[in-house]
Amino acid sequence: MNENKFLSVFKQNAIWLVFIIEVAIFAYFNPKFLSLPNIVNISRQVSYYGIASIGMTFVILIAGIDLSIGSIIALVNVVCAYLMMNMGWNMWLAILISIAMATLIGVLNGWMVASIGIPAIIATFASQTIFRGCAYLLSGGLPIPGVVLENPTFGFFARWSLNRWEIFKAMGDVGLIPICAIIMIICFAVGSFILNKSYFGRYFYAIGGNEEASELSGIRVNKMKYLIYALSGFFAGLAGIVLLSRSGSAQSTAAIGFEFEVITCVVLGGVSVAGGIGKMSGVIAGVLIIGSLKSGMIMMNVSEYTQMVVQGLVLAVAVGVDCFSKKRQAS
Amino acid sequence: MHEDFYNEIDPKKRFAILDSMPESSDSQIMLEIYNDRFSDHEGKGRKNIDWWLWRCVCLQILCNRGKLFKKSRDKEVLSIINELHTDCEEEPRKRFLYYEYRNTAKRYLSTCKSADYASSFLGFKRASEEEKIWRACLDIWQMSAGVAKSSGLTDKMQNWIDALRDELFNYDSICKAEYERLNQ
Repeated sequence: MNENKFLSVFKQNAIWLVFIIEVAIFAYFNPKFLSLPNIVNISRQVSYYGIASIGMTFVILIAGIDLSIGSIIALVNVVCAYLMMNMGWNMWLAILISIAMATLIGVLNGWMVASIGIPAIIATFASQTIFRGCAYLLSGGLPIPGVVLENPTFGFFARWSLNRWEIFKAMGDVGLIPICAIIMIICFAVGSFILNKSYFGRYFYAIGGNEEASELSGIRVNKMKYLIYALSGFFAGLAGIVLLSRSGSAQSTAAIGFEFEVITCVVLGGVSVAGGIGKMSGVIAGVLIIGSLKSGMIMMNVSEYTQMVVQGLVLAVAVGVDCFSKKRQAS
Repeated sequence: MHEDFYNEIDPKKRFAILDSMPESSDSQIMLEIYNDRFSDHEGKGRKNIDWWLWRCVCLQILCNRGKLFKKSRDKEVLSIINELHTDCEEEPRKRFLYYEYRNTAKRYLSTCKSADYASSFLGFKRASEEEKIWRACLDIWQMSAGVAKSSGLTDKMQNWIDALRDELFNYDSICKAEYERLNQ
């Protein structure tokens, strides 16, 4: 392998090296970091970040942003719990309605961005405020508890692992991977398929790279924007269901500031904020880095406030590296 | 007449120029190439879709794709260049293909002047004229020499590479140095 090839392979996979170094540091300071229960716990923690980051990846690839996903998650939490607990709806129907609602909010974002022409940051910030308010209105600002207690099956998204699920148990012990992590893995596989193997993925990259050339090439850019924001809403809705299943209680205050953590995962994973560049494997690494960082800091008794400072710094460094590399390439 | 046809980037105007040309073997080839570029390949009744421009965009995306799917990427690059007939050696078709490729690059470069092109940080920071030119050089290089180099198809794509490079050199005086830097 010549020097250039080695450098190119190294550059493409540097994010995984960062992840390995990070894990090694935490494992050095606390050997329990690499214990099986902690790994299972991290996989549960990162699952809803991971799921939401797929939609955000699509949005950032077209040089957009979706600041409403935290509020979508809160609203999905409240609506799903409200339908099940206060209206006695069937669990699956409540989940379906909640995710459909999240997707529709995404469509609304797409409409504001593509058809009205509101900048994505403003349109999705407006959605963030509107739907957080809706979550407060519906719940009266109070939590809706007992979701999992009243509907034990609901907890399977987060609590159950493959070897605890009777169907899989009959097939033999297949490990300790939690269902929510499996949902995340499936979502990443779907996301990766969309980006690498489908025409839609190609359209996302094309729009992010050069919108006008994409339009001339026959891509219906506005329709694609609708689709991308709808997908972002859909994945945020799914993440909301997983979060509700973990917490067992719906909170209108859930996932405040969540969008910035998801943006950190995506940008850290190498998706350029200028659009058009990025891959799903990098985003997986970004999600794992943030998940391990959070878990590692908790295990090292780092205060919550310091954790916020560190996460903010990580976001600034990730965006800074992206901008710096663009500048360096240009000079 | 040929010059007018290849300098114009609006497909409707180009067709009008082509239509006004006296019938000859040359105009027949030009029409065939034009139809290949703009005809309704999807069969959905959509008109004036620039399929070659789409292939330009696809080649650039494929150039940026990582090593993980290299085999499938190379297969796709090969299929695209077959659709573009880049390995055609038969004259005068090869010469007309070269001009049509240049026209495609010209059309792509015309989009590189738009306000949003090469903007960074979620579209908030608009690119300067210099940054736009640099990005245009990178794009053209990626969709020609860059993708050919990484897929090992330089020989098969030579006519395409030459056409895009020549059109880029016409675009701005700094493009030549930038292209050569990228080539190294």
